[in-house]
Amino acid sequence: MRQTPIGNPIRRVDAVAKAAGTLKYVADYHFDDMLYAKMVRSAVPRGKILSIDLPDLPTGYYFISHKDIPEGGKNQLQMIKSDYKCFAENEVRFIGETIGLLVGPDRGELEELLSKVDISYETQPYSVTIEEGLECKGGPFVGDDNLFCDFTIDKGDVDKVFKNADRIFEDEIRTGWQEHVHLETNGAVALCEGDKFVIYVSAQCPFYVRKSIAGLINRPYEDVIVRQTATGGAFGGKEHFPDVLAGPLLVATYTIGKPVQLIFDRFEDSAYSVKRHPSRTRFKTAVDDKGNIIAMDIDVVYNAGGYESCSYVVLQRGVFHATGVYNIPNSRVRGRAVATNTFPSDAFRGFGAPQTLFAVETHLNHIADSLHIDPLELKRRHFLKKGDVTVTNGHINENVVLPEMLQQVLDQSGYPEKVRTYEKGSYKGIGISFYNHGGAFTGNGEQMIIKAKVRLKKNRNGTVDLLIGSTEMGQGLQTALIKIVADALQIDPKYVRYPNPDTSKVADSGPTVASRSTMIVGKIAERAALSLKERWNESDELTVEEEYEHPEGFPWDQATFQGDAYIGYGWGACVVEVEVDPLTFEVNTTGIWSSHDVGVAIDELVVHGQVNGGIIQSLGYAAMEKLDFSQKTGFKQVGLSDYIIPTSMDFPSQRCTLVENPYEYGPSGAKGMGELVFNGASAAYVDAVSRAVNRPIYSIPIPPETITELIS
Amino acid sequence: MITEIRFFLNNREVSITTDPLKRLLDVLRDDFHLFGTKEACGEGECGACSVLKDDKIITTCMVPVGAIQGASIMTIEGLRESERGRTIIEAFADGGAVQCGFCIPGMVIAAESLLAEHPHPTDEQIRLGIAGNLCRCTGYDLIVDSIRLASERGDGLW
Amino acid sequence: MVESCYIPKDLKEALRIRKETQARPLAGGTDLMVVHRRGTGVVPSFPWPVMIVSRLPQLQGIFTDGNEIVIRSLVTCSEIEKNDDVPYQVRKAASLLGAHSLRNLATIGGNICNASPKGDLPVPLIMMDAKVVLLSATGKRILPLDEFITGPKKTALHSDEILTEIRIPVPTVPYSHIWYRKIGTRKANAISKLSMSAAITFSQERIVTDFRSANGASGPKVARSREVEQILIGTHAREIANKIPEILSAYDAILSPHAMPEYRRSSTRRMLHYFLTKAASEDCERIII
Ligand SMILES: Cc1cc2nc3c(=O)[nH]c(=O)nc-3n(C[C@H](O)[C@H](O)[C@H](O)COP(=O)(O)OP(=O)(O)OC[C@H]3O[C@@H](n4cnc5c(N)ncnc54)[C@H](O)[C@@H]3O)c2cc1C
Ligand code: FES
Ligand code: FES
Repeated sequence: MRQTPIGNPIRRVDAVAKAAGTLKYVADYHFDDMLYAKMVRSAVPRGKILSIDLPDLPTGYYFISHKDIPEGGKNQLQMIKSDYKCFAENEVRFIGETIGLLVGPDRGELEELLSKVDISYETQPYSVTIEEGLECKGGPFVGDDNLFCDFTIDKGDVDKVFKNADRIFEDEIRTGWQEHVHLETNGAVALCEGDKFVIYVSAQCPFYVRKSIAGLINRPYEDVIVRQTATGGAFGGKEHFPDVLAGPLLVATYTIGKPVQLIFDRFEDSAYSVKRHPSRTRFKTAVDDKGNIIAMDIDVVYNAGGYESCSYVVLQRGVFHATGVYNIPNSRVRGRAVATNTFPSDAFRGFGAPQTLFAVETHLNHIADSLHIDPLELKRRHFLKKGDVTVTNGHINENVVLPEMLQQVLDQSGYPEKVRTYEKGSYKGIGISFYNHGGAFTGNGEQMIIKAKVRLKKNRNGTVDLLIGSTEMGQGLQTALIKIVADALQIDPKYVRYPNPDTSKVADSGPTVASRSTMIVGKIAERAALSLKERWNESDELTVEEEYEHPEGFPWDQATFQGDAYIGYGWGACVVEVEVDPLTFEVNTTGIWSSHDVGVAIDELVVHGQVNGGIIQSLGYAAMEKLDFSQKTGFKQVGLSDYIIPTSMDFPSQRCTLVENPYEYGPSGAKGMGELVFNGASAAYVDAVSRAVNRPIYSIPIPPETITELIS
Repeated sequence: MITEIRFFLNNREVSITTDPLKRLLDVLRDDFHLFGTKEACGEGECGACSVLKDDKIITTCMVPVGAIQGASIMTIEGLRESERGRTIIEAFADGGAVQCGFCIPGMVIAAESLLAEHPHPTDEQIRLGIAGNLCRCTGYDLIVDSIRLASERGDGLW
Repeated sequence: MVESCYIPKDLKEALRIRKETQARPLAGGTDLMVVHRRGTGVVPSFPWPVMIVSRLPQLQGIFTDGNEIVIRSLVTCSEIEKNDDVPYQVRKAASLLGAHSLRNLATIGGNICNASPKGDLPVPLIMMDAKVVLLSATGKRILPLDEFITGPKKTALHSDEILTEIRIPVPTVPYSHIWYRKIGTRKANAISKLSMSAAITFSQERIVTDFRSANGASGPKVARSREVEQILIGTHAREIANKIPEILSAYDAILSPHAMPEYRRSSTRRMLHYFLTKAASEDCERIII
């Protein structure tokens, strides 16, 4: 990695406290008189609640349900769409839907009581898969077609091109559910402070939580104070889902007047939390007589589960990334998010892009196979370049350094040589993938919806506080932003403090999602720091605040999805090499090489850690993270002994490099990268396995049992 | 049934009168307020609740406190006071091993247990040594590097 | 629900408690504590009395007794893994069970008495005709392990008995070739999807004098068939290849058609085929990997 002054690693500000075990996570908070809560949940995937029989509750124990929502309060959580109910009232849409909370002082007693709650339902036929959802099995429960959303974007003239195409390739690629497995489960504590309510919560977006739940008790946002506790991983799983805990807790504490804690155990956290959207992507691709792709007609369907929440936005990102890093002259992409009676799907690192990127990469591999050329030849011919038109008829506005990145991974992995020597079906294989990730909110969302603000405060002792709602959840944001501010102020980073946000004390810098925090919030912080520097001598104590400024010249129409969906992208290339055991079809990964363009790395060690972690999570997604529906527990693989994530032994150490490509609108040239690094390794892995066993692969994950089926 | 259990906790003799089937993890967190030991799975799978029992790594979510009568338990709170513990923690911080941090106290315990057995471990030994500690953030590479760094810096300590 | 818990000081007291209350032994607790857990901050609850035997000195230790290796029931997987006296396959199985921290707790007695179809140690032990010693306040029984485990989670343990020893007969003529393979859900810290332990002995004339093979996670209990093994006895190494199809189809019949049947069957066929072919070849190493 190239060394730039800002890129030079510093010791992460939170590292020692975390390693020494002194940092407090939400489960480590205890308050006087604190009560515990257990969730009472739906046991059926779809039905009407006929009755709820509670055991006799001892004094000091409570059952909290929608009936406790005060006059004027609304029983809904305000996520991007406000359809998610805080408590189910009459109908339930999925196993695990919140019906109520049992609250009391003793956790053992609560377990006892919970086992005695008897709920009877009138059950209805339900849908689980995308097909069942589309067929409205059991009758639609969202509109008359079970579709939360359905839209199409067009570029060029697909129909005309298909008429003259030399060859047409059809394909269907699927991906499964994925569980976040942030190592810290979801948890929150609610309590009263004066006439306000305080939520301590492990969450990505404290301001989202506040906005989502204040309406439950009919109070203005300011009456609910959200304090983020050290967050033990999130990956999107703590973007909207904390509302599902914080909402009922707020109603409980409002009703009871005492602090109430709700911490999910791992079983609950894996059975009853949001997941990555399963997907089905169908392609019809036209190729001319020279083997060039001239048109793609793509049909994307995401399984959104029981409530929409943020599925529309996830789907948009999936659709906008559906042609990958390739310039396809004519394209049509239709996207649908279908309702099923499964736990709602939600944000997960990559936010809809990984599914379609996996699909397009795999589809191109299949085409290359039919054309008898190496996938790399087909892919590099179509690489996007600066000025190219995107699927939304916007433009690529930056230099695309894919060729340089490609060169790095080729040199390091020995791909060309290995492709020549590993015969297909020789149980050895090497695979390659390319991917990108549009930075920040789609289109003009930053300008129209988020309107981020950053506050910096200079203290008497010369230290500076960075007061923003953006959160550290492991990705290294505190370190990165402190470096940016310190760099602009030209002071030592140790003089900059960036505490975990408290919504009553910090500026709303927007949610910590969409890889926007370094790039967008960092840029505003840089400007704030520069203006603080200018005014430094005005006073001993000084506060400056800056707002987001949208760069000129990037048109976007949110109604038609036309224009520059993203101003800039992060880019990636990944090579994975495998050996398949001919006796057991276990896959042994023998090499992982990647190159990324993240603009300029704000801290190379932080970036390195993100790349490593993102790639392993992506390889887990492809190789082992199987998650099926179960009529009993909602999902079959619950808990960490059944839902399998990679250990230190599953993948070898990685070789990762960066190509520096400063981004005009990012702080010190940085772009977002937290999600990018997840987007591509799964496709490279599947490519490698597919070559090793000489079989096309159409879906992930592919544990050895699945490979056996492919072969026999 | 309530029983008195005596054991050594971070080099101090302690006693607790409790149900002997209570999980050692709950005893450490709820009774001794040692919050560095984390719970992330409750079924022995993740290693976040690791401590050393008579110098060997164990997961406390599976151990009833009645089973440690007379034993010596070392948690991250004890380990961080030692030269070895400090060396590992500093190496983790400098090597970029720490992201969300939730797995990390358990990883530090695993590193200590590993280095006590293999003061100069190979990468393979390091990977095996932490195979019982799941980390969802780092992909393990920088943890492996940091343990190697600790072994180099702490040459002679183990 | 009875909530009693005992912590006996020695084996004698343990046997008395066992007889009087039928309290079940808790050894490492890695099965019991997980199955009966009730969440954070809540004491696990058991439907019967429990006695914590983890520290009983009389149930520790590995030693040789005549032509048997004796492993006492509280010996942990870590201890087995590191002990050179223990046969290779048992050590290997112990070393691949769970992770380091688990192996420091998990006992051989617990692994056997838990009788999980996916349990790893019974596979090589049954292959080697290991026996278990069951002690009660009034007597002692010795049973072949294969008979002691009667089905999934079922054993022939009487309510007043404690498993004290596992006795592994050492073959008078050492096996010529041995094999152990575990296919886990991932590369480490994993439960078995399938495991297999096999051994073969040739006479000087290269005639098969002993052949045995056992499978784990392939049915309600460890799958082993002495009839199938007989097919190969008396066969010359040269002729093994001809007999493989017969062996494979006979072996197939002993595997149960449960989850992932095709994967388990076909992997077993490939592994057995590989083992026998390797073993029959000239200059094959003793431990086949
Ligand atoms: C994370 C994790 C991973 C695991 N991985 C594996 C694996 O890879 N392979 C595998 O085989 N198992 C695995 N297990 C299961 C378990 O660890 C083993 O079965 C272990 O050997 C059980 O031993 P224990 O001493 O902990 O048993 P305990 O839980 O103490 O007891 C288990 C059963 O045996 C009985 N028992 C114990 N000792 C005696 C005795 N002396 N006499 C009579 N009855 C007795 C108990 O009453 C109980 O019914 C795993 C478990 C966990 C939690
Ligand atoms: S919490 Fe004990 S191993 Fe996961
Ligand atoms: S640092 Fe987050 S789980 Fe390891």
